[in-house]
Amino acid sequence: MVTERAREFDTQDLLINVGPQHPSTHGVFRMVLEVDGELVKDVIPYIGYLHRGAEKLCETMDYRQGIGFMDRTEYLAAFNAELSYVMAVEELAGLEVPERAQWIRMILCELNRLSSHFMFLGAFGVDTGVMGTPFIYGWREREMLIDLFEEISGDRMMYAYFRPGGLAWDVTRNFKERVREVIKSSAQGIKDFDGLFTENEIFVARTKGIGYISAEDAIDYGMSGPSIRASGVPLDVRRDEPYLKYSEVDFQVVTGQHGDVFDRYACRLQEMRESIKIIEQCLDKMADTGPIMPEKMPRMLRTPPGEVYMRTEAPRGEYGIYLVSNGGNRPYRLKVRSACLSNLQALKQMSVGLYVADAILVLGSIDIVLSEVDR
Amino acid sequence: MKGIARSLMTTLSTFSRKPVTRDYPNVHKPLPERDRAFPLLLWDQDIDEPFCTGCHACERACPVECMTVLMKDNPNHKTVGGTSTRRKIIDKFWIDYARCMRCNICVEVCNFDAIAMNNTWTGHEMSVHDRKDLVIDLQGLLAQSRAGAIKEWVPVLGQTNE
Amino acid sequence: MTTSLWGMDINVWANAAIRLQIIVLVMTVVVMGLIWAERRILGRFQQRIGPQKTGPFGLLQSVADAVKLVGKEDLRPKNADPWTFELAPFLVFIPIFMGFVVVPFIAGWNISVLELGLLYFVAISSVNIVGWVMAGWGSDNRYAMIGGLRAAAQSISYELPLVLSLVSVAMFAGTMNLDEMVRQQAAVPYIVWQPMAFAIFFIAALAELNRAPFDIPVGESEVVGGPFVEYSGIRWSMFMLAEYAGLFIMAIIGASVFLGGYIWPFGEELGRGWQLMLISAKAGLIIFVVFWIRASLPRLRIDQLMGYSWKVLLPLVLLQVLVNGLILVNGWSEVILGVTGLAGVVALVTITGRAANRPRSILARPAAVKVEAA
Repeated sequence: MVTERAREFDTQDLLINVGPQHPSTHGVFRMVLEVDGELVKDVIPYIGYLHRGAEKLCETMDYRQGIGFMDRTEYLAAFNAELSYVMAVEELAGLEVPERAQWIRMILCELNRLSSHFMFLGAFGVDTGVMGTPFIYGWREREMLIDLFEEISGDRMMYAYFRPGGLAWDVTRNFKERVREVIKSSAQGIKDFDGLFTENEIFVARTKGIGYISAEDAIDYGMSGPSIRASGVPLDVRRDEPYLKYSEVDFQVVTGQHGDVFDRYACRLQEMRESIKIIEQCLDKMADTGPIMPEKMPRMLRTPPGEVYMRTEAPRGEYGIYLVSNGGNRPYRLKVRSACLSNLQALKQMSVGLYVADAILVLGSIDIVLSEVDR
Repeated sequence: MKGIARSLMTTLSTFSRKPVTRDYPNVHKPLPERDRAFPLLLWDQDIDEPFCTGCHACERACPVECMTVLMKDNPNHKTVGGTSTRRKIIDKFWIDYARCMRCNICVEVCNFDAIAMNNTWTGHEMSVHDRKDLVIDLQGLLAQSRAGAIKEWVPVLGQTNE
Repeated sequence: MTTSLWGMDINVWANAAIRLQIIVLVMTVVVMGLIWAERRILGRFQQRIGPQKTGPFGLLQSVADAVKLVGKEDLRPKNADPWTFELAPFLVFIPIFMGFVVVPFIAGWNISVLELGLLYFVAISSVNIVGWVMAGWGSDNRYAMIGGLRAAAQSISYELPLVLSLVSVAMFAGTMNLDEMVRQQAAVPYIVWQPMAFAIFFIAALAELNRAPFDIPVGESEVVGGPFVEYSGIRWSMFMLAEYAGLFIMAIIGASVFLGGYIWPFGEELGRGWQLMLISAKAGLIIFVVFWIRASLPRLRIDQLMGYSWKVLLPLVLLQVLVNGLILVNGWSEVILGVTGLAGVVALVTITGRAANRPRSILARPAAVKVEAA
């Protein structure tokens, strides 16, 4: 029963607008937090600030022209995004990719996973409140990786290097030495992050037990990637539905047990070590020379009518391309299945009931790339 | 407190390492040969005219439609007493660098190896006050190559290391 | 009433005014130096160089920043409360500078030697929280308000451990006169007898100054600068000046009360130059550790921050005061004091570690807010 006196002190919940210009929203994501003191009672996410209509644009372009747009849907792991697209086109056109090109693709995708996860660690570390140090650690290693990508593909972020059928051109002659050099540096970076965070009592107190999502809920939301593996669901497209040469290398699917922010962090850190292992195996198995494109490539690629859904394991989860062709040289319909968009759906469930500071951490732990969410 | 001590030791170890940053505007990192900045037209030093014949192949292939090409009869062609074998030659060429997404497709489709990506720092340091200034005309596009300032790298699709 | 200044006898008020003027001028320079030092040191911790273009080693960077800040437009949001908004920087700034009245830089350099110097210091240094809350409230910004309220809660919580850790030293020293306390440490600095008090003083000082890992009122990744979010230009620079002046004053007080100030280990007969170097080195060490921590540690959450103060620091420091009382009343040896202090440090470390590693089931869902069915 509300008395007259109590009604006088009836309080109102405060709405805080976080984003689209906020240091911790990783792009132009906006969420409105309804807070009671410091406790989050509701989260209302707003997406779409970065919508460019990339899917629709691709329908007006031939298959080669679309590659550049796929890069831009997932700018932190553009190789992975390209891979899904070119594999979908290859599947439709029935192209056989030379073995060496597959190994190179695999190495580059795993390196890109490393660079993307370094970016996550840096940004997430800053979210937890360390002044800039994790960012510099992350960027230090990412810079090494990006320099390597630049040497190979010519660009630092938007590579446009994978082509339906293989690769645009061959890797540099000192490719293997350079990759070995770079993964050595990355291993040092992982060590630094491990030392900076994993055991740190403050970090542990901040991240353990918050942003919990159960395995069932994570599956229901359609989450994928490290975000669902942290909840204990061993879902990894690389193992479940091997593409490229993933069936020939030995790696573990890293899963967590608690489904909280710390596990999502720890999963990614461990996944980076697995990536390094994969890269080393690839380097051993890859031939030094050989073709990177099929012998007979048509000048303008045309696909027979049909549809295909091709999914790959991008750093943030399952990146899928649904491609419908009506027999021309361009897609009739292209749909990008974005991992971030599905992962972001769970934001509300994960952050309601937490403190404002924790809601920021939860958002950071999902590791969203807004260009992939909005496309 | 062990973890906090470990964090402090980690930062102390980076304190003792050499800085990894570059003094950017003063020190430029060497760019790889394949570096892609923005497309340029190449200059045929032997005949002293552009390679480009204005065939519109790049214009048609450009996904973002940033190019405008106009062709003319070559005044330097052999039939009119010149030295060139090119019957047609580029008349006007504009590339809007503000639209270009540096996908390299124009380089790949060119039948005359007349267009290449700028792989020098001049292609990266192009800030201007007005985006209209990023529409580069034929003289601007040829200037680098004419002065011999760029080391051309024209990739062939599917090219392998021997 | 006259006192001595540079060998002349002048009116006590005039003397204080002249000394205060000197302090204000010197402080501004020291703060600029501290900001430069912080940026350079943080840069090194992050494997980069830091400011280096403006002047030799970037020494003039702070000057350039100051000129820029003074030249900037002093904005006030339309809905801000004009008086509260405009007065807040002064209320943050003035108490910090008033604290300098008692700071024993070196022998004879303080503005005034107060018998209750320590009490005056802790009293005056907690006034500035009013300015923080005013800034938070007056800005008419929700981030600022959350930041201001966080600052108030944090400052009040950590005031107690800070004061009590100083009290436990004052009990032992038998005086509150800061100069007298420094002089008593000619042989052994108080940190030897009161290690836990120093540890708690250091932690509480970090929180009082809103430095990492207790910088939640200004946490950039959450409340985007907290109470300062709407300030610009000269008013913002006053907040910064107060923050770094507070850091400096806290380092000097810590060095004087616990590390033997300008006297230990060379005794009282030192020249002024040596005294200055000693106190600068000790304060500099404390400041370096503060910067080091800022580069390494994540930020605490508000409930953890409050819990740490009330559940860990306060009981421990109260225990220390109790033990000190027992020992002093019974006239037991100082060594017992040191041993109990060390035991306290061990307890502090253990409790902190255990508090952080609590099982996850307890940490999950800090409050019973109903989660609606999605």
